[in-house]
Amino acid sequence: MLDSLPYALPELVTRAPLDTHRSTVLPGWVDWNGHMNVAFYVTAFDQASGAFMRNMGLGRRYVDDKLGMTFVLETHVTYDREMREGAPMRFTTQLLARDDKKVHLFHEMYHAEQGYLAATNETIVMNIDYASRRSAPWPVPVAARLEELWRTHKDLPRPAKAGRVMGLGKK
Amino acid sequence: MKLPPYPMIELDLAAPFDQHRGTVLPEWIDWNGHMNVGYYVVAFDKATDTLCNQFGCSWDYTREKIGMTFVLEAHVTYDREVKEGDPLRITSQILDLDAKRLHYIHCMYHGTEGYLAATNELMLMNIDYETRRAAPWPEWAMDRLDKLAAAHEILPVPAQAGRLIGIKRK
Repeated sequence: MLDSLPYALPELVTRAPLDTHRSTVLPGWVDWNGHMNVAFYVTAFDQASGAFMRNMGLGRRYVDDKLGMTFVLETHVTYDREMREGAPMRFTTQLLARDDKKVHLFHEMYHAEQGYLAATNETIVMNIDYASRRSAPWPVPVAARLEELWRTHKDLPRPAKAGRVMGLGKK
Repeated sequence: MKLPPYPMIELDLAAPFDQHRGTVLPEWIDWNGHMNVGYYVVAFDKATDTLCNQFGCSWDYTREKIGMTFVLEAHVTYDREVKEGDPLRITSQILDLDAKRLHYIHCMYHGTEGYLAATNELMLMNIDYETRRAAPWPEWAMDRLDKLAAAHEILPVPAQAGRLIGIKRK
């Protein structure tokens, strides 16, 4: 386990939920149905996970300094409404659970101007040691930040679309 | 039975459906040196096109302005890394269907080493081209979907299907 990180960490944002990440639907993300393709919702959400990790102190430097990486283990997306090329996106992120190596996140994607919910993403992200490419406990300062964030997120209501099991729900 | 205004390919009732092949492209690699999470879904979405082509609801279906298929929900398990240039083999298994929807799972394997790299469980809905809303599968598709579903019924449900995401408490 890393006791410290060799770079300055950004000021920690502890808003509940987090709501700093913004993005735009790129032309290359649109498919033959004329809307953002399913895969690029995952890319857009992965960037929101990246923003979460930067807030924890695990940005590009973490990888470039060959300290560690974060890998997604599992992800669940609900596609609630279409997004067209150029649509502005606003994300919220809630920390649902954490342990010594993993976080369980819930992102919501909104159309930033029209305000509607476009999609949700529930995901598990794990800390990885750079050299062994295997799971490892969070660096100490990151674990401390996660605890600080958890204090503001633990009492948020659980999102209705979290914990879904897929099925046709036949009547 | 109503047929589409384009030829349909021969129906393949192998269980699971095992025609789709792909390759990890250079632009699918991220700064961790492996295929990025989003591009696993790009690869899986191409396997969905191959599957939809089996029942006449792929590119021709949209080009002829008849309909489209929209994904309602997706669950991905990332089981092992794949690197640039790796060959991919993706199998597809139908789990359930109704008049408008299809529930299925893809399994992605490394094409030569054989290991499971990822799975993708999906709920797909048929969409009317004009209204852009849910609509029953066309007759030709329903007929083939029933045959595919019957052929796949003998398969065990993969452990990765029907998963609930969470961190296990020790």
